[in-house]
Amino acid sequence: MNAPVSYGGMNRLPNRGQFIDRSKPVTFSFEGAFVEGYEGDTIASALAANGQWIVSRSFKYHRPRGVLTMVGQDANTLVQVAEEPNCLADKRKIAPGLVVEGQNYFGSFESDSGRFVEWVSKFLPVGFYYKTFHEKRASWKFWEPIVRKMAGLGKIDPHAHHGYYDKQYLFADVAVIGGGPAGMAAAIEAAKAGGEVILIDENPKLGGCLNYARFDESGEAACKAEGDLLNAVQAASNIRVMTDAVVSGLFADNWIPVIRGNRFYKLRAKAVVVATGSIEQPAVFRNNDLPGIMLGSAAQRLIHFYGVRPGKKAVILTANDDGYAQAIDLLKIGAEVAAVVDLREVPPVTPLSFAVRKASIPVLAGHAIQEAYHHNKEHVVGVAVAPIVAEGQLGDPTASYDCDLVCMSVGYSPAAHLLLQAGAKFAYSTETAMFHPAQIPAGLYAAGSVGGVFDLDRVRADGARAGWAAAKQAGLSVGAEPVTPGDTQDRNQTHPWPIFPHAKGGEFVDFDEDLKYADLINGIADGFDNVELLKRYSTVGMGPSQGKHSAVAAVRIVARETGRDLATLTVTTQRPPYTPEKFGHLAGRIFDPERRTAMHHRHLELGAQMMPAGIWWRPAYYGPKAEREKAIREEVLAVRNNVGLIDVSTLGGLDVRGPDAAEFLNRMYTFTYAKLAIGKSRYVLMTDQAGVITDDGVACRFSEEHFYVTATTSGVDAVYRSMLQWNAQWRLDVDVANVTAAYAGVNIAGPKSRAVLQKVCTDIDLSSEAFPYLGVRMGTVAGIPARLLRVGFVGELGYEIHVPYGFGEALWDALMEAGAGDNIRPFGVEAQRVLRLEKGHIIVSQDTDGLTNVWEADMPWALAKTKPFFVGGRSTQIMAKMPLIRKLVGFTLDDPSLPCPEECHLVIRQGEIVGRVTSAVRSPNLGKVVGLAYVHPDDAEPDAKIAIKVDGGRMIEARVVALPFYDSAAKRQEM
Amino acid sequence: MGALPKVFAQNQLRRSPIYRLTQAAGAFCEVINSGAVPMHYGNSDSELDRARRMAIADLSGLPRTGFKGTGTVDWLAGQGLTIGPDSNMAYRQDGGALAARLAPTEIFLIDGLEATGALIDRLNGAWNWGTEKPRKLIGYPMPRQDSHAWFMITGDAAPDMFAKICGVDLRPHKFAPGRIAQTSLAKMSGIVIRDDRGAIPAFHLLADVASAEYLWGAVLDAMSEFGGAPVGLQALRRLGEVPS
Repeated sequence: MNAPVSYGGMNRLPNRGQFIDRSKPVTFSFEGAFVEGYEGDTIASALAANGQWIVSRSFKYHRPRGVLTMVGQDANTLVQVAEEPNCLADKRKIAPGLVVEGQNYFGSFESDSGRFVEWVSKFLPVGFYYKTFHEKRASWKFWEPIVRKMAGLGKIDPHAHHGYYDKQYLFADVAVIGGGPAGMAAAIEAAKAGGEVILIDENPKLGGCLNYARFDESGEAACKAEGDLLNAVQAASNIRVMTDAVVSGLFADNWIPVIRGNRFYKLRAKAVVVATGSIEQPAVFRNNDLPGIMLGSAAQRLIHFYGVRPGKKAVILTANDDGYAQAIDLLKIGAEVAAVVDLREVPPVTPLSFAVRKASIPVLAGHAIQEAYHHNKEHVVGVAVAPIVAEGQLGDPTASYDCDLVCMSVGYSPAAHLLLQAGAKFAYSTETAMFHPAQIPAGLYAAGSVGGVFDLDRVRADGARAGWAAAKQAGLSVGAEPVTPGDTQDRNQTHPWPIFPHAKGGEFVDFDEDLKYADLINGIADGFDNVELLKRYSTVGMGPSQGKHSAVAAVRIVARETGRDLATLTVTTQRPPYTPEKFGHLAGRIFDPERRTAMHHRHLELGAQMMPAGIWWRPAYYGPKAEREKAIREEVLAVRNNVGLIDVSTLGGLDVRGPDAAEFLNRMYTFTYAKLAIGKSRYVLMTDQAGVITDDGVACRFSEEHFYVTATTSGVDAVYRSMLQWNAQWRLDVDVANVTAAYAGVNIAGPKSRAVLQKVCTDIDLSSEAFPYLGVRMGTVAGIPARLLRVGFVGELGYEIHVPYGFGEALWDALMEAGAGDNIRPFGVEAQRVLRLEKGHIIVSQDTDGLTNVWEADMPWALAKTKPFFVGGRSTQIMAKMPLIRKLVGFTLDDPSLPCPEECHLVIRQGEIVGRVTSAVRSPNLGKVVGLAYVHPDDAEPDAKIAIKVDGGRMIEARVVALPFYDSAAKRQEM
Repeated sequence: MGALPKVFAQNQLRRSPIYRLTQAAGAFCEVINSGAVPMHYGNSDSELDRARRMAIADLSGLPRTGFKGTGTVDWLAGQGLTIGPDSNMAYRQDGGALAARLAPTEIFLIDGLEATGALIDRLNGAWNWGTEKPRKLIGYPMPRQDSHAWFMITGDAAPDMFAKICGVDLRPHKFAPGRIAQTSLAKMSGIVIRDDRGAIPAFHLLADVASAEYLWGAVLDAMSEFGGAPVGLQALRRLGEVPS
C-alpha cells in the first residue's frame, strides 16, 4: 500500500449529514491510498467528500464513472472490496481498514489503458456478437482471447473465506415495502386495525424522500411531515421497522425475500403495500455520463445524508419542480447555480421556481443541454445549452456555462419492479409521460409515487388508503375507509422526451452497458424493433442495474423509430432480484443434515474411513487410507475364518402389524408370506407396477400379526411411502411404521460368531437346531432387549442383532468385549460387498438399475407361484413371455494377470454393447476375480465367454460361471 | 445445588445420541431411565438465567413412548389418559406427562420433567396383543424412546431462534401452549410442542435420533446470537417453580 494520503474532506459540509456520525472518524483505503470518512458514510460519499469523483470505470469503454444515484440503483459505482467484487459504493458503508479498489481497468485506475476500446468502438457495433459469430466460425479464434480478457466485472478470489450468512423467517399481517411518506402512512393506517405490520426500507432511516427532497422553499413541509409520520410509526407498537433492508423480490402468496446484512429474511404477509417510490431518470445528451453529472436526487442525498457538497458550481437540467428545489438546496450550502435549464416551453410558476428566479438564477425555459464538456473525461467542466426546436431536436447553442456539477431532474419512472414481478401490469400514460399501474394482483397495493402520486399530501393520503385496504385484505377489523386522494396522476413531473442526440454521438442511454443513442437506433434498423428483441440484441437493460435508468428511454426510442403508440408498449420483463444479491444470501446457513448410527463414534475411534450412504455415514473399512486394500482383505478373511462385526443400523426397518399384515406383504412383495411360520424370516423382493426391481430385504415374523421387514438403506423411505400409498387404496387392516432409526443393528458373522454371541446372550438357545438359519428370535443381548435374525448376506454363520438406538453403542461394546478373546474384527461396507459378491447376492440399485426385472436379474426363484397378485406381478408375467435382451450372470477371469474390471465397464458382443459390469472384485478367498455383469442372453450359460472393455479400451475375456462363487452348498451360513 | 455423583454416560446401557457433546460441555449427569441425563453444567443459577433468555437442554434420556393405529386413543383413555379431540395438540396428564396427539390415531407420550416414568412404564407394560378373537383393536406401540431425540428449548428469544431454522410462526401469540408443529427444522423433520415453564416460553423438540448431533449443533449455532447455550434438567425444573 502507498504511503498514507488523506483526501481530506474538502467537500464536507458543516451541520449536515443525517446518516453520518462526525464523532467517529473512519479510515479506509481506496486504490491504495488512505481515505478518511465518518461512520455512516458510504464508500462513494466518503470519496466524494475527499474530492475523489471517479469511483469506477464503465464496462465496455472503460470510461470514468462517478456518482449517479447515491442509492445503489446504478452500476457506476461498482467497486471491489477486498475479495468481494461488484459492491455498490454508494450503498456499502465504510469500515476501518476496508480495502477498496476500482474495477474494470487495465494498468492503473487513473490511467486506464482499456480506454482504447472506445477509440475502436466503430469496430464494435451494436449486436457485435450476432454479427461477428454468425457464420464466421474463424472469427472466434481471433476474438475469443480479447473477449475473455475484456469480459467480466471485478475479481473473484477462489480462496476467499466462506462468509457466515443465515436466514430467518418473518411473519406479518401487512408488509409495507418502502419507508417513505406513502409507506409510513400505509403502515400507520394498517396498524390501526391491530394486526402485525412490518415496514421495510433500504435506507438507514425511515423517511424516504422526506430525508432529502424539498417540497417548499423553507423545507419545513418535509420536516413536519416526517416528524408527524415518524412519531406515529414509533407510537404504534404493532409496527416492526426494518431499515437497511432490501426487498429483492415479490413472489406468489406474498412471499417476500428481505436482505439485511448477511441475513436473508423470508417474510410471508397476508397483504402487501408496495410503496417503493420512483426512480429518477437521467437525460440523454452528449457526455451525459461524466463524473459530476448526476441525478438531482443524488446531489440532494449527498448533501442531506452525508453532508457532502456535490459541486461548487452547478447547472440544473430539469422538467419539474424538483430541479428548482435542488437549486435552492445548492444555494443554501453556498454553491453557485449557474443556470436552471428547463425542458418545458412554459414552466408553471410555483413557489419553488419563484424562489429560484428571485435569487437571480438564470432560468432557460424550452432549452436543454446539448453537450457536456470535460477535462480529460475525468469530470464535467461545463455545458453547452441549446433551445429545443422539436421533440429531441436542438437548435444551435445559445449559451455555455462553466460548472463542476450537472443535476438532472427531468422525470421519474415508477420503481415498479416488485409489482411487476408479482404480476402487475403497467401502462404508459401520455398525459404524465410515465407508466402507471393498470392492474395489480389481489392482496397487493401500490402507494405513493410508484403509482404516480407525487404531491406530498396526496402521497400520504394514498398511503393511508393502501394501508387500510391491505389491513382489510389481511382480515383485520378496519375502521372507516380513509378519504382517497382523488386524481392520483400527477402531471408536470416527467418530461416525455428528455433525449437529445448529438451529431458527434456520445449520448449514453444505458450506462451499464455503454450503449449510446445510435446503438439503439442501429439495433432497430437491424430489424430488432421490438423492445424485448432489442434488449437482447443490444444488451440495453441487461446490466447490473437491469434497466432502471435505460428501460423507459429504450421504450420511447423504439416507439418513435417504429411509429408505434407508446401507450401500446411496456418495459421488458422484470425479474428478481431487484438489486444484486449474493450467493451467500441464497445459500444461507447451509443446513446439511446427516445421520449417524449409535456406534458412529466407536467406528471413528477404531480408525474407520467413513463413507456416505444417502445422508447416513457408514464405515467403509478400518485403517489408514494408504492400507485400504489390505484392510478390506483382512476384514474379509476375518469373517470367513473367524468372526467379524459390522454396523448395519442404516438398513431400513419397518414394523408391519395388524390382522392383514401377511396379506399386505403378499401384495407388496413377490414371495408369499401367509404361511411363513412365526420365528422365521423370508427374503422379500419388491417390484414396481412396471415389474422393475425396486428393493429387497427380509420379512421376519415375530407373531401372527407382526412382521419386521428390512429394506435397503437408500430404499426404505421409498418403500415406506409406497406401502402407505398402496394401503390407502387397499384399506387392509394393517399398520406400517418406519422404525429404521429407532433400531441400531449389527451383524456378527463368521464361524466363531455363535461362540462369541453365546457369552452375552443367555436367554436364547443359539444352537443350529433351536435357532436355525433364517430363524428370528426376541431376547436379550448383554441385558439389552434385542431382535435376532439369522441371515446369510455374507454367506457365513451370522446373526443380525437389532436393538433400540439408545442401546446401540452398549451392544457394540459388549460384543467387541465378548469377542476380544477370539480376535473379533469390525468390518466395513467394502468388505461386506466382497463377501456378498462371493455369495452371488445382488445389491439392489448397484446390480440392478431402473429397468431391471426379475427375469433379467435371474431371480424367478423369488416369485410366488400361486398367489393371485403382487405389485408388478402382471408386468412380470407379461415380460416372461417377451424375449430377454440381457441377463445378470456371474463371471470370472481365468487369466490371473488380467485387470479386475470396474463397475460399468462395458460388455461387448460382436462390436455391440450388450451389457455392463455391475460388481467385480478380486476375491481374497477365491484368489481370483469374480463379478456380476449383464450379458447377452445367449451368453448367459456357464462357461460362455464374454468380452469386457476395461480401462484404456482394452478388451479382456471373461467366463460366465454359475452362482454363487463361494460355498455353493450353502453349508457355512447354515452351520 | 447438590453435588452429584460422577456419572458417565458411557457407563450406562442407554446413551443419549449426543452424550459426547453434553459431556464435552461439562455436563453433570444423573441416572434416569437407565441413561445419564445432564442435570447441570456447573452453575445452576446462571443456567436458570440462561434458560429464561435462551437455552437448550438434552432430555433424550427421559422416558417417552408412543402408540398409533386404530383404537389407540380409546385404549389410552381406558388406561386413564385424558386426550382431547384435536390433533396437533398436547394434553397434560396427571403426573406431568404430555400426550401429544400427532394424528387422530397417533399419540407421542413424553414424560414430565420429574421423569418418574410411571405412566410410560405402565402403558408399555399394559399393551399386549391379547387373546380374544378377533383381536380388539388397541393400536400398536411405537419405539418413541429411540426413534426421536428430545431437546427442550427455552427462553424469551426461543421464537426468534426458531425463526432461523423453522418456517412455522412459533411466537407466543401465534402458537398457543400445547400446540404442536410437525414441520421442517434446519432441513430435517421434527416435532415442536409448546410447553412453557412458568412464564417462560418453552418448547419440546423431538427429531430423528440419528441426526441428533447435527440438530444440536444447528440449534446451538442459531441461538448463539441470543447468548444461548446448554442447560441441565435442574434449570428447567427450577424454571417451572420460580417466578420469572
